[in-house]
Amino acid sequence: MSAATRIAREEWRALLRNRAGVIATLLLVALVLVASFVSIERRDRIEADRARYQASVDAGFDRQPDRHPHRMVHYGQFVFRPIAPLAFFDAGIDSYTGNTIFLEGHRQNSANFAEARQSSLLLRFGQLTPAFVLQTLAPLLLIFLGFASVARERERGTLRLLLAQGLDGRTLLGGKLLAQAAVALAVAAPAFVVLAGFALAGVAGWGATLLLMLGYAAWLLLWALLAVLVSAWAHDSRAALAALIGLWLIGVILLPRALPEAAAAQVVLPTRIETEIALHRDLARIGDSHDPDDPYFNGFRQQVLARYGVSRIEDLPVQYAGLVGMEGERLSTALYARAAADSAGREARQNRFVHAFAALSPLIAIRQVSMALTASDPAAHLDFLDQAEAFRYRFVQTLNRMQAELIPHIGGEDPRVSADNWKRVPRFAYRSYDPLRDAGAIRRSLLVLAGWLAGLGLLFAVTARRIGRVAR
Amino acid sequence: MLQRKMLRARRDLTIIEGTNAAILLSGVRHSYGPRAVLRDLDLTVRRGEIYALLGGNGAGKSTTLNALLGFIAPSAGAVRICGVDPVTQPAQARALLAYVPESVALYDHLSARENVDYFLALAGAARDRPSVIDPALEAVGLPVHAWDARVSGFSKGMRQKVAIALALARHVPVLLLDEPTSGLDPQATLEFNRLLDTARARDVAVLMVTHDLLSAVDVADRIGFLADGRIDEERTATAGSARFDLNALHARYAQPRAAA
Repeated sequence: MSAATRIAREEWRALLRNRAGVIATLLLVALVLVASFVSIERRDRIEADRARYQASVDAGFDRQPDRHPHRMVHYGQFVFRPIAPLAFFDAGIDSYTGNTIFLEGHRQNSANFAEARQSSLLLRFGQLTPAFVLQTLAPLLLIFLGFASVARERERGTLRLLLAQGLDGRTLLGGKLLAQAAVALAVAAPAFVVLAGFALAGVAGWGATLLLMLGYAAWLLLWALLAVLVSAWAHDSRAALAALIGLWLIGVILLPRALPEAAAAQVVLPTRIETEIALHRDLARIGDSHDPDDPYFNGFRQQVLARYGVSRIEDLPVQYAGLVGMEGERLSTALYARAAADSAGREARQNRFVHAFAALSPLIAIRQVSMALTASDPAAHLDFLDQAEAFRYRFVQTLNRMQAELIPHIGGEDPRVSADNWKRVPRFAYRSYDPLRDAGAIRRSLLVLAGWLAGLGLLFAVTARRIGRVAR
Repeated sequence: MLQRKMLRARRDLTIIEGTNAAILLSGVRHSYGPRAVLRDLDLTVRRGEIYALLGGNGAGKSTTLNALLGFIAPSAGAVRICGVDPVTQPAQARALLAYVPESVALYDHLSARENVDYFLALAGAARDRPSVIDPALEAVGLPVHAWDARVSGFSKGMRQKVAIALALARHVPVLLLDEPTSGLDPQATLEFNRLLDTARARDVAVLMVTHDLLSAVDVADRIGFLADGRIDEERTATAGSARFDLNALHARYAQPRAAA
């Protein structure tokens, strides 16, 4: 057994004698387990509800009687986003954005432009998930177990005696770090076992799972290192505890909340009402299809008549109102898409601003890694919104085309299309989001964590060299 | 300035090369801020010799030990433990010495045997219980029933015995003792001094920093008086039963204190 291992063993013995420490560790391990199983159960329940509601909504749509297609455009469709397999581990922004969207004609889906998507939400306290426990509470445990690791030796005088045996600083600090790192691993182990279980079952990819474990291992190792180093530099264990709690408050609580506020001030996002007013104004500028003198729709009418080789709307083989509906939908969708892209661009700038400061608070980096790999980050949500919007356009235009093509053959005061046609309307099929799609962002965040570890490793080497002086 | 430094370095090297000292301090200076604690301190202890360093409070005794342990880097001069510089190679130098602090701090949740075993493991020394640890505990006179008892209930003297047992078990050429007899009763002091005799017989160089003039007289081969950061006066034991003139020593020892 090496000297470092022996030191770690004695450290564990001392930890085991610390009843409060043992209880806190067991509680945290239990919390990770409970959080894992509660999150899995919640995810399964939401998935079951989603499947049931989707089937019910689809059946409800199919059961609609013979109707005018435009009424079906406003009857709309609900779409549900399946929760990613690893989202049990980190709910990310899903808790705020939800995963249900109502789609109808003339307006973009209900989730776009929602204020809940503002980036400050990326960094709020989340629900009880393994990610929350490991990101926020596990560092506290490592602080409470590690703050005295070296300072206590100095206080009781054993540090001088230890070093006087010819023990070098690197071995001493290495042993202390080994003990703290093992505690960190013990806390994270239940979550890692569950994650590995998901990967083994083929539910989640090994790549994302292993990167997630790597990210959290780096995050916890970082706190174990910090605890040992502060303990080695502090005058006494009380000073070490105060310094570590201060670092935790700044790094885990303050900065991750202050930075999004600064980002929001830097890149202002319009409110939903402001966006809708602006969109209405832009829509009005396009033109009014009901105004016979409207220049845009006059031009559109001439194009349609020329295309069908007729001179009057009444002679068209299709319903002109249906074609106007399709054109209006095309124009408004393009307008909404531009506004959505602008909004997404601003949010991306906010997020870039926040992540630029990840060097100050590695919590931002681990959250970015965690949310990205569990497909619960803004990119995954935006991907869902894009898919939903593309589907909405296909759905509305299919009904508009039915109106244009079928209504002229039906005629009458209250023309209705046969209910059989509703089955021809497309259904939403979600394309799974690949959590490794934005590998660059994940790599950058992992590099931030690696940078922190390298920096602390350097400080470790410096501390190990001068631990003898510290012992004086 | 540079020339003076070079001359000093050359002198230090000459001293180091020309001596077989196990403990060497040559022209050592050290200050805590503006306060100079060691001023050109020269001190050597050969193997098989016991040197008692006496001095009043603030004379620089602890700083001398800290310099030998590599816990401070002197601003000038040379420090060597069997030729190894404890400033540049602290772990290597400490591997050659055993240190018994004045107030022995041990791990309260471990027994005497476990404490010795733990420190020996960290020192990378042999720690076989029947052949190394138990004989050392026996040699220092720690009662057998206390060997497996937690040291939390130990008196200062018993803790000191554990630390000395550790020092003996390591079989190193240099022994540094900081007020070794403080807190020991007269009988224990006598037993301790006999242990030092044993160490001397094993060719160990012993430097003991002490206030205990009687103990120093009983066991030391040389006694040095440290005042104002340098050896003010040194006495060598003479052959025969009266190794030192105790009255003269007492008068000399009281002098700097009274002056202080």
